[in-house]
Amino acid sequence: MKATFPHLLHLDIALGVLYPTLGVEIITPPPITQKTIEIGVKLAPQNACFPLKVTLANFVEGIELGADTIFMAGGVGPCRFGYYGQIQNIILEDLGYNVDFVLLDHPRYGIRPFIKALQTMAGGRVLSSRVIKVASLAWKVLRFTEDLETERRALRAQVKDRQKLDEIVEGALEQLRQVNNEKSFQAIKEETMKKLDNLERKETEDLIKVGIVGEIYVAQETKINFNVEKILGELGAYVHNSVSTVEYVLHTLPFTRSREKLEAWELAKPYLKRFVGGEGIDTVGSAIRYAQWGFDGVVHLYPFTCMPEVVAKSILTAVSRDYDLPTLHLAIDEHSGEAGLVTRVEAFVDVLERRKKLKKKKVEVS
Amino acid sequence: MDLYLGVDVGSVTTKFVLIDEEKNILASCYLRTSGDPIGALKEGLQYIERHFPSGGEIKGVGSTGSARHLAGIVVGADIVKNEITAHAIAAITRVPEVRTVFEIGGQDSKLIIIRDGVVEDFAMNTVCAAGTGSFLEHQAVRLNVPIEEFGKLALRAEQAVRIAGRCTVFAESDMIHKQQLGFGKPEIVKGLCEALVRNFINNLATGKTIEDPIVFQGGVAANEGIVQAFRDFFQGKKKIVVPPEHGVMGAWGAAILALEYAPEKSTFSGFEVIGRQFESRSFTCEDCPNACEIVILKEENDIKALWGSRCGKWTPVTVRQRWEEQEDKSEEPLQIEEEESLVKG
Repeated sequence: MKATFPHLLHLDIALGVLYPTLGVEIITPPPITQKTIEIGVKLAPQNACFPLKVTLANFVEGIELGADTIFMAGGVGPCRFGYYGQIQNIILEDLGYNVDFVLLDHPRYGIRPFIKALQTMAGGRVLSSRVIKVASLAWKVLRFTEDLETERRALRAQVKDRQKLDEIVEGALEQLRQVNNEKSFQAIKEETMKKLDNLERKETEDLIKVGIVGEIYVAQETKINFNVEKILGELGAYVHNSVSTVEYVLHTLPFTRSREKLEAWELAKPYLKRFVGGEGIDTVGSAIRYAQWGFDGVVHLYPFTCMPEVVAKSILTAVSRDYDLPTLHLAIDEHSGEAGLVTRVEAFVDVLERRKKLKKKKVEVS
Repeated sequence: MDLYLGVDVGSVTTKFVLIDEEKNILASCYLRTSGDPIGALKEGLQYIERHFPSGGEIKGVGSTGSARHLAGIVVGADIVKNEITAHAIAAITRVPEVRTVFEIGGQDSKLIIIRDGVVEDFAMNTVCAAGTGSFLEHQAVRLNVPIEEFGKLALRAEQAVRIAGRCTVFAESDMIHKQQLGFGKPEIVKGLCEALVRNFINNLATGKTIEDPIVFQGGVAANEGIVQAFRDFFQGKKKIVVPPEHGVMGAWGAAILALEYAPEKSTFSGFEVIGRQFESRSFTCEDCPNACEIVILKEENDIKALWGSRCGKWTPVTVRQRWEEQEDKSEEPLQIEEEESLVKG
């Protein structure tokens, strides 16, 4: 079995740590590029969501590298993610690819198929202490890749040498691919954090703070969202992203819960009590949390026509008014133009900066 | 006299405004970009030079518009700003009590919400270009009406024909259909204006509270038919102001931003730029499947600026290296051929 899987930010690094121990050879699809997007757009139905198109293209590119099996996760609820696997499987069949499609559906659809799919993905291995050990290491690696990006978002506007910052983060990510034991992981972690701490800072006061909310794929995957967080950082904003794969996995596994998500859902309650699929509630709750943290604005990223996020978008209008929190909505798909997006992000940062100055003046006067 | 220059290079037109310290417009011009932003910039500078007050000195330059970065490099701007901020600043300067700005330009339209003289919220058309200047112009040509007369024609109509305005292509086919049914030009043009206003409101104003006074600016504000359609849409209940400077508001805003920025020493390139030779070159990087199109702005042999490198590997230094390598390579094949022939011989 040679399995390929979809990209989601640095998921491939964690899987690369995990799989050598399991009896499955994995084939990491090439990084998402313009070519990937073109393949997905060509093969998927026009009305399908953008993440379906890009992940489908990951599979095709993985198959071209020799994969004969696809590992894919499934969703639940009124979000179309629930049928990604089925649709993609049919498309691949129609294209004449002879591959096994292993779908790890949400445990809510039945714990037995969930465990069975998990077993297939683990190459039929039983839970030995060795497997548990490497799985926990892979989990730590995934967590750390997210922490690294969190640092990068926060630091971009603060450090003197942004290129150096990128070099440190990219270098660490590359090193993490080679990790095979706890000791080497801890060494990379400590060394990287020390390097980041030692980066020379600019004298910055009153940085504007921007939070990112939205759909799990588009809000995280910088290769398809035009790296909005980088644009914001280079314009001088401290950026935080509320979307996290780690939290998603925690919340999806049968016996664990994400505290962050539960908190966001609680905050969203006055506006949205029901699960609307995808990250709809998270988007609303996280925006409120950013307002409570004193952030200056929120950028909402979602795939064009994403139903849960369209619900959240309408509700964010009320949140934005009630909490006096400016919100920029950016729908992303293959038709999104970079120039228009940059113009809007620039103007948004101007709005936040002017508001912040004005608020400060008011405080000084009173 | 301290002067400030604002440049707005849009997709269709290029605008220049020269102001004094009091933000008064001393000279302004409105030109066609005609796909040649550098040519349009030189032409604009020539105009400003001809109308330059004696004893004046340019203390700051601002650029805006979709080609703001290019314009910034060529003219030597001290501040490069997006068109939303520039338009808002100009509207606030012109009508201090403004609460909403409608801006319709060549290829995009904007809605800016202003409260207490500060931008509160904005929207820019994302999906469709229906209702922007380019579309109106295209239809004017098709109906064989000069663009300047287009708006006036609408005012002559007693009633409007309902035209589907959600999409430019469908609007056009619907217009043709209505023409074939025998409706007159004025009715059709009026119907078109109303459709475009509906489109603007539906696309940009959803979830936003439009309060007056509204300042309507951008090239399309010259079209009386559209202005009247906006008035009709609000049933005359909202005050709509079309400032006489509506066409150059973006450039005016850029000039005001330069004034507020007040650089110690301006980076203005001077009017000598008119005589200098700029050239833009491009190549497609094939190092990864992203296939970035790298655009290089050259002045003689000097690389002034470079755009389009997503991963950041292309900088003036690396591009120069690439060119040198290519020059070396172009000599290489000859040597190989010689070697081959030696072996054969």
